[in-house]
Amino acid sequence: MTMEQLLTDTATALTAIRQQDLPVLQQPLDWQSKYRLLMQLGKKLPSIPEKMRQNEWLVKGCESRAWLLHYHDSANNKHYFLLDSEARIVKGLLAIMLSFINGLSQQELKQLDLQRAFDALNLKPYLSQSRSNGLNAMIMRIKANITGS
Amino acid sequence: MSDFNAAAFRQHFPFFTEQPEWIYLDNAATTHKPAAVLDAVGLFYRQQNSNVHRGTHLLSETATNLYEDARTCVQKYLNAAESAEIIFTSGTTAALNQIAYGLMHSVLKAGDRVVISALEHHANIVSWQLHCQRFGVILDVIPLQGDAASGYQLDLNAYNKLLSLNPKVVSLTQVSNALGCILPLENMLLAAKACGAITVVDGAQGIAWQVPDMQTLAADFYCFSAHKLYGPTGLGVLYGKREWLEKLTPLLGGGEMIEHVSFARSRFNQLPARLEAGTPSIAAALGLAAAIRFISTFDAEQIKSYKRLLLKTFHDGIQHIPGINLLSAQQNNAGIVTLNVQGEHPADLALLLNEQRIAVRAGQHCAMPLFELLAVPGAVRFAFAPYNQLTEVEQCLNALTQAVEILAL
Repeated sequence: MTMEQLLTDTATALTAIRQQDLPVLQQPLDWQSKYRLLMQLGKKLPSIPEKMRQNEWLVKGCESRAWLLHYHDSANNKHYFLLDSEARIVKGLLAIMLSFINGLSQQELKQLDLQRAFDALNLKPYLSQSRSNGLNAMIMRIKANITGS
Repeated sequence: MSDFNAAAFRQHFPFFTEQPEWIYLDNAATTHKPAAVLDAVGLFYRQQNSNVHRGTHLLSETATNLYEDARTCVQKYLNAAESAEIIFTSGTTAALNQIAYGLMHSVLKAGDRVVISALEHHANIVSWQLHCQRFGVILDVIPLQGDAASGYQLDLNAYNKLLSLNPKVVSLTQVSNALGCILPLENMLLAAKACGAITVVDGAQGIAWQVPDMQTLAADFYCFSAHKLYGPTGLGVLYGKREWLEKLTPLLGGGEMIEHVSFARSRFNQLPARLEAGTPSIAAALGLAAAIRFISTFDAEQIKSYKRLLLKTFHDGIQHIPGINLLSAQQNNAGIVTLNVQGEHPADLALLLNEQRIAVRAGQHCAMPLFELLAVPGAVRFAFAPYNQLTEVEQCLNALTQAVEILAL
C-alpha cells in the first residue's frame, strides 16, 4: 500500500463519512446506536500499516495510541492526512474530526469552528479540554503540521 | 455477611445525593468526602482563617492550635511516637520525593542500592530515578511472579537475593494501585531491617485498607495522601522516625523551615517545621483530621469484610460476562479489579462505561513498567469503597455487559 493510495482511500472514506454517517448522527439516537455508528465509521477509515506507525507520527496525550501522517499538496496548497488509533471508538471520533479538516488550506482551517461542528452532531462533550480521548492532542498536532508546512 | 451498614455510611457523603446518577468506582484515584470533612474545611475558611506559626494575634494562635491538633490526630491514628514525626506535605508524591531527595543528599553514597518492587506507582520509581544517575546509586526491582488467576505477587526469593546485596533503602508500596494486591509488608520490612536497610512504605492505596501501627510495622517512613482517605486534595503525610527525619536534607527551602538565615548560609529549624517550608495547606490538614475522626467511628474490620463482599460480588458477576480478561485476583486484594475486554482497547471500554455514568479509570495507572511486564496496553480499573452499594455492583455488571455487547459488533 503506497502513501499515495492511502491518502486517496482516506479522502474517499472521509467523504463517505460526511455524506452518509454524519447526517445519521444529527438524528436523535440512543447511546448504544451512537457508539455502534462511531465504531462502524472508524472502520471505514483505512488503517495505517504497522510499518508506517513510526514514533514520530505518534500523537501523545491520549489514553490510547494514535498516529497522524501529514501531506501538504503544494500544487493546490491543501493539507491531507492519514490517521489511525488502536482504540475503535476513539478512531471513529477522530475520523469525524478529520472529515471536517482533510483537504483544507491553512486559511480554511483557521475559519473552521470544530466545536460548532461537533455540537451539531451531539458530540460536544468529546471535544472538551479535559478529555483524555486524544481529540485535543490530535487537533493540536494537525495545527502544528499545517502551520509548520 | 458483614454487620457494616453501607447505606448508612453512604449517607454521610453529600456527593451521592447531589450527583445521584453516578456510580463512582474510581476510588483508587480519589475518594469522596463526608460532610464532616466539608464542614471542617468550610468552617476554617469562614471563621478561623489565619496563617499558622506567624501572627501574634489570637486568630493565628487558634489556627496554629487547630493545625497542630490535626498533626496530633494523625500521630495517634498511625500510632507514631510523637507528633513531630508527622510532616504535612502536598501528597504522597511530594512525601516520596522528599524522602528520596533527602536520603540521596545525606545518607546514600555512590554504589549504594535502593530496592523497589515491580508493583510500584511512578511516584516510588521516578523519585529515586531522578537522583540515581547523579549520585551513582543503583535501583533494584523485585520482580513479579504468578498469574492473573492466582494473583500476581512479588518474587520473594528474588527479594531475598536483592537483600543479600545489602541495600541502603527498601521502598515498597502497601497495596498495588494497578492490581489491588496487598504486599506481605510485615515480613518484607523485617527482612529489610535485618539487613540494615532504611524502610519506606508508599501507603497511598493502603491507608484506606489497613492503617499501619508505627510501633509494630518495621517502617522508617510511611506516606499517604489525605484525599484517598476521605480527606481533601493537596495534603499528604510523611511519617518518619525522628532519627531519619533529622537526617533528611530538606527538598524545599523557604519560610518557617529555618532557624536563622543569612545570605551566606542558613540553619534549619526543628522538626516538623524544617520539612514544611512555606504556608501549609491548613484547611486540608483540618479536613484530614475530620476524616480520620469520621472513619475512626466505624469498625475497620467490618469495612474490610464489606469491601471483600463487594469484590466477591463483582468477581462472581464477571464470570457470567464473556470475554473478560482479569488482571487482578480476588484473593489478597484491597478492593481493586483491573480488567480488559478480550481484544478491545481499555479506552473504548472506559468511554462506554462513562456513557452509562460508571466512573472508572482506564490506562496504565501510573505504573507503566508493570503494564510492560503484563504485556497489555493498559486496563480498566474498578476500585471499591465502603460507600459503594451492592446494587451499584449489579448496575456496574449490567453496564459492563452492555459495553461488551456493543464492542462485540
